[in-house]
Amino acid sequence: MTVGMINANPVVHERPERAAHPHAADALDPLDVFDTVRDIKDPEHPYSLEQLSVLSQESVSVDEKLGRIQITFTPTVQHCSLATVIGLCLRLKLMQNYPPHFKVDIKVAPGSLANEESGVYTDKFLRLISKK
Amino acid sequence: MAAGALRQRASSHRGGGGGGKEAMPCWASLHIDVTQLIAARVLATGDFLDYVRFRAVCSGWRAAAASPRGCGLLDPHPRRWMLFPEGFGQRPGHPAHGGHARFFDLSTAGAFVRVPIPELEDHHVLDSPDGLLLLLRFEDTALRLLHPFTRDVADLPSFHCLAQQLKHLEELPNRIRLLDADVFYFYRTLSREVCSAVNITASGTINVMLALAPIGCVAVASACDDVWTISSWALEENELEATLPYQGKLPKIGRLLACCGRWTEMFSSASVDALAALVNKDNLTLFDLVSKMDMYMTTTDHVVRSRGILLLGEILSRISFKCLDVNTITTLSDFFISRLSDWQAIRGALVGCLALLHRKQGVGCIVIADVKRLVESFLQNVPVQSLATADRKLCFEILSCILDRYPEAVKQMDGEQLYGICEAIDEEKGPECLMLSFHVVEVVMKLFPDPSGLAAQLAGDVFEILSKYFPVYFTHGVGNGLDATREDLSRALMHAFCSTQYFEPFVIPLLLDKLSSSLPLAKIDSLKYLDNCIRFYGADRMVRHASAVWYKLKEVIFDLSSDQLLISEALNCLKSAIMYTDSSDKDLFINLILLDEDIVNKIRSVSSVDKSILSSLEDLAQLHALGSVISILAESSTYFCTRVLQEHFVHLVDIVGTKADYESRQLNDCNGSSSAPVNYGALYLSVQLLSSCREVALVSYKDCSSVKLAKESWWLILEKKLEQLIHLLRSFSRSMQPMFRQEYVSCAVKGLLTLATFPEQCLPLPANAYEDILLMFTSIIINKFENVDLWRLSLKALTSIGSSIAEFPASEREVVYYRTVVDKIVPLVESYDTSMPLSLRLEASYEVGTAGLNYMLRVAKSLEVAVVTNISESEANGRTKCAEHVAHLFECYSSRVLPWLLTSGGVNELALSFALRLLDETKDLTVLDRISSQGLLDSLMTGMKLLVGVCTAEQQSLIVQKAYSIISSMLSLPMKLMTGRLLAVDELVPSHSVPETALISMFSSIIVGLRPQTPVPDMMVMINLFTVFLLNGKMPAAYALASIFNKYLHSPEFSHENQLDKILDDILERCFSTVLANSSSEISHSSAGTSDDVDSSDVFSGNKLSKINILSSLAWIGKGLLMRGDEKVKDISMFLLKILCSDEILASIPPHQEEPYGGDSSDTSLAISAASAFHVMMSDSEMCLNKKFHARIKPLYKQRFFSILMPIFLSKIKETTAVTTKLALYRAFGHIISNAPVPAVITEAHQILLMMVDSLAKLSLDIEDKDLVYSLLLVFSGMLMDEKGKECILDNIQITMSVLTKLVSYPHMMVVRETALQCLVAFSTLPHSKIYPMRRKVVQAAIKALDDKKRAVRQVAVRCRQTWQSFA
Repeated sequence: MTVGMINANPVVHERPERAAHPHAADALDPLDVFDTVRDIKDPEHPYSLEQLSVLSQESVSVDEKLGRIQITFTPTVQHCSLATVIGLCLRLKLMQNYPPHFKVDIKVAPGSLANEESGVYTDKFLRLISKK
Repeated sequence: MAAGALRQRASSHRGGGGGGKEAMPCWASLHIDVTQLIAARVLATGDFLDYVRFRAVCSGWRAAAASPRGCGLLDPHPRRWMLFPEGFGQRPGHPAHGGHARFFDLSTAGAFVRVPIPELEDHHVLDSPDGLLLLLRFEDTALRLLHPFTRDVADLPSFHCLAQQLKHLEELPNRIRLLDADVFYFYRTLSREVCSAVNITASGTINVMLALAPIGCVAVASACDDVWTISSWALEENELEATLPYQGKLPKIGRLLACCGRWTEMFSSASVDALAALVNKDNLTLFDLVSKMDMYMTTTDHVVRSRGILLLGEILSRISFKCLDVNTITTLSDFFISRLSDWQAIRGALVGCLALLHRKQGVGCIVIADVKRLVESFLQNVPVQSLATADRKLCFEILSCILDRYPEAVKQMDGEQLYGICEAIDEEKGPECLMLSFHVVEVVMKLFPDPSGLAAQLAGDVFEILSKYFPVYFTHGVGNGLDATREDLSRALMHAFCSTQYFEPFVIPLLLDKLSSSLPLAKIDSLKYLDNCIRFYGADRMVRHASAVWYKLKEVIFDLSSDQLLISEALNCLKSAIMYTDSSDKDLFINLILLDEDIVNKIRSVSSVDKSILSSLEDLAQLHALGSVISILAESSTYFCTRVLQEHFVHLVDIVGTKADYESRQLNDCNGSSSAPVNYGALYLSVQLLSSCREVALVSYKDCSSVKLAKESWWLILEKKLEQLIHLLRSFSRSMQPMFRQEYVSCAVKGLLTLATFPEQCLPLPANAYEDILLMFTSIIINKFENVDLWRLSLKALTSIGSSIAEFPASEREVVYYRTVVDKIVPLVESYDTSMPLSLRLEASYEVGTAGLNYMLRVAKSLEVAVVTNISESEANGRTKCAEHVAHLFECYSSRVLPWLLTSGGVNELALSFALRLLDETKDLTVLDRISSQGLLDSLMTGMKLLVGVCTAEQQSLIVQKAYSIISSMLSLPMKLMTGRLLAVDELVPSHSVPETALISMFSSIIVGLRPQTPVPDMMVMINLFTVFLLNGKMPAAYALASIFNKYLHSPEFSHENQLDKILDDILERCFSTVLANSSSEISHSSAGTSDDVDSSDVFSGNKLSKINILSSLAWIGKGLLMRGDEKVKDISMFLLKILCSDEILASIPPHQEEPYGGDSSDTSLAISAASAFHVMMSDSEMCLNKKFHARIKPLYKQRFFSILMPIFLSKIKETTAVTTKLALYRAFGHIISNAPVPAVITEAHQILLMMVDSLAKLSLDIEDKDLVYSLLLVFSGMLMDEKGKECILDNIQITMSVLTKLVSYPHMMVVRETALQCLVAFSTLPHSKIYPMRRKVVQAAIKALDDKKRAVRQVAVRCRQTWQSFA
């Protein structure tokens, strides 16, 4: 059973080479979070989310005091039905990599998805899949 | 059989009689006695099989018959089975049999069984007496009897034991004399020829008799014996054969089996060695040997024959230094040559022929006529390609040996025979054989240089065979035991290709063709071959290929996809093409290359492009290729150089810029506006041309006057443009404009460098221009150190200019260089100018110094001056960083300048004079006072140590004497009194002035650096002196003492003062008593309570520090002793242990007697320093007692110390109850463990693991111990990586894990947390069942670590958590 791809020919971007970790301090910063999620593969293609420009360094924000991580991602096409899957991948990765007291918000960039109400993923739904 | 019949009858009864059930006898309920009787009958008449069948009938019957297993070899069952050979000469246990052996039933005569016998894996069957197997175990030559069906075993005394016993017999009964070396011969012969008989008595004793036919005696032993009993009478072989029962074996089975025996193979080379030794020592003549072996070499059994011939051949190859007479040689060569036709025994013949051919002149070698016959017979009879690899290798060895040593035998060869050689080589695949065969071809072809000779005729055919191997493709990996590598093979083939010029018409087209192959390997190989072929084939032959070669090379060189290696090979090839193709038309290559349309176009495009070429990498690569091609052409001869320069140089330089242009640009620079971009391509090419001019000049600088006088020469062209060029280059390299990128600058610097390194006679460079260039570079070095790239480039350029001067000795340039460069740059070291970083100044001086010995000497001198002025003037300048500065100077001096001087034959006097000067400077007390107040003392001491360490023993003794005289004149101590025994404590001066201490410190640093051979004056006085200071708690004195004891204890040179040993005891005693006296006085003081004497309290407070110091001094002395492996170190370590445990002693004092102040804390601090004393003893130190300072270091001393102390510590720790004491012991032991070599620790893992884990837990509470915790954890992780360590950890996994999970949140050190997490990750490889219970705990700890402050820890924590969570 082959279903046609939603975005058969995505634009692939070069992965920018970063020499060393340019972190100033040891505190958690957006770059850290970005480093953990940049190499997640797209559910459709053998490229990473970074290469497909679904994520960028600017799309991550971190507030360590309040314990919040917020990621806003941009699906490659408007009618992307895999946005949910991407969101789940992101959340699972963050759950594995950061202490449980962090609140993780994953959002779709406004206007990038046709059906926007499915854009925000509740923790409840996620708990189902992350239970092993 | 009987049982089967019974059962049949039983079932037929059951089936037949429908109603008569009671009539049917119930066999199963037969009375047990009856059944036993039947069983006995079955056994008596039938055999094992019947017995098995009988037992299989029913459980009742089974119970009636005794089980055959488990009763040893005593079982009552008959053994009528005989071991039967499988045939094909395969011994039992041959891999082809799959671990089975075949037995033949003698009584029924017809039944065969195949029984699995796993023992055959590692045993060798010697004999099969009475249905049992007599086995020989490979590993230890144990002899064993095996029952093949029940697999019960009885052990006999070993074969080795038998051989030893035979060897020790005074007189052997038979004809073979035993030599020391030939135990192996025994193994070989005996294992073949042994016959045995077994007797098992009713009481269960197993007796075995071995008949040793070759020796003619009998050995007897029973299963419980340790040795064999050997008969003392001689037996003839026939007697033996008659005596022994043949029951259970075929005649000569042993010999047949042994023919292919694995075990005998193992010893065969040893026995051949033994035989060869016999022959070599004339104990056995060759004639005897041959006549003895006569039967073996002529028998029709080809297996035996081939072994016989091989044996002779091998012996012959091992006696190659023994003189043999002509007759023997002739006979032997006749024999072996005739044997070449015996294909079944070819191996031996080949070995023998080779051995004959290898024989040197003078010890009797084969005659030419025989060699000829050999060649003929070889080519006629030996089908090389149908032989095995090893034999083929022998064949090729023979061929190449003949060709190398007896070429005249082959000289008159006809085409037929040459063709035979070709045939032998054709289709060869083995790498080693190929190596040889390539060599054979090479030599054969070289034998016939005649144009009408065989080589010329057959070149085509031979090449057809060779060409198949090109390019050499070799799939064998490295380390497969083969000697030949692909490179070797390729080289051998290349030599074969180049062996004769008649190959030329075939080779060159092939190589050129392969150049366009897509395989990079093929390309590189063909370039290499081409290079070589061009050199070899000579000009006449290569001329006709010149254009083809050039076009192909051009393709490769300008191909963007070729890599660097390929291009450089191609350029090499081009170079040799131009060099060696010396045709009558001297413009051949000019026409080909210089006037090549592509090249002309390329040069034009480079010089006309407006855009910067640097913008694209491809353009740059093209430019570089172009530059290399042109410069190769220009470099190759004066004529070519002139032509190329004529063609392009003027034009290119003009493009770069005219003089006027340059001036206007300078104007622009001032205005700050940028001018038109400079053409990099033109610049690059002109610099390339310049450097090729230099190459040409270097080659021909002897007759450069003729070059100058020639009407048309590169010299004139260069001269014309020189001034303009210099200006241009200088403007580039000096300019700091951003538009001049790195490439421009480096190019310009290269140009200037080329100009400055032109041979003096050949360049019209005016002296002032030369000086200008130097000045420019120097000023860059001094002023523009912010521009790192330019700075380094200029420094490099200066260095290479300097070293180029050295190539043309005694020129004026040296003076100029010295004046303009060395005199300006080297004094930078001495200056106080802080604008330029010291490290750069040092680097510049050093680099300039590397250009020549004189320069470096100058550098050394000015470093010395810098140090000395720092000492004497530091107060005047009032600079605070003085100490660091001096440390840097010393560092540069000792680690860079001195080694350079040593390797380049510089003088060693330098260090000596420097050290003496330092001593002179520091002998003034006021200076010393100032030095130590400024903290300069440490760096001076380090410097002094290094200087002394470099000096030779004689120089060192000079230094020591001088220092000693200074000391004795300046010190206020009564030196005279010290010559005898140690002073009493009362005579000690309690405290010394600062300068005196400094003086002693300097002196001690001299002592530290001494070599063990250096004589020391007044050793006793010195030791006394140092002891006084040591007891006052001065550490340098301890270093000096430690070095003295390390180097001079038990030294024969000081044997007249062998009190050294005694003195050591004295010193130790005194140290012990000082440390103890205080604590005991403390106790007495506290018990006295009221007697608060002012003095004693004074002593008290001052003493605490010095007590600690004395403890660490003890540690240093202990280290010195430990490193030389002296026993006294035990005293020290026991004393330290006592101090460690002294808490316990204190604790035992009744509480009311304890003083409110002091006691406890001082003792714990003592304990701490005692613990760290172990650290001092075990760890390596930069300070003293290392290789640099010539310490005596016994190998494995750490390991030894560890294994001595480990049990002591373990028991101490076990019996200690007090917490603080335990902690101190843990600390000390932790130091020992963490400094001992990890493999040593791991072998003791089972003993110390628990203690280690416990100490990790306890020590992690105190921040002071964080380094110790880390190093212990590292040891632990080392254990975790080891198989044995893993086992130990698995046994104690609970406690280990709980400690580790605690360490995950260790607050004091990041690396500890990280390592703990890494260990936890490593735990995941342990068995799942063991670690699963820990999962929850570990995951929790990892989650906690996810929130760590440090990023590195968080990252490991993520990995740890993922690993452990995946166990679900």
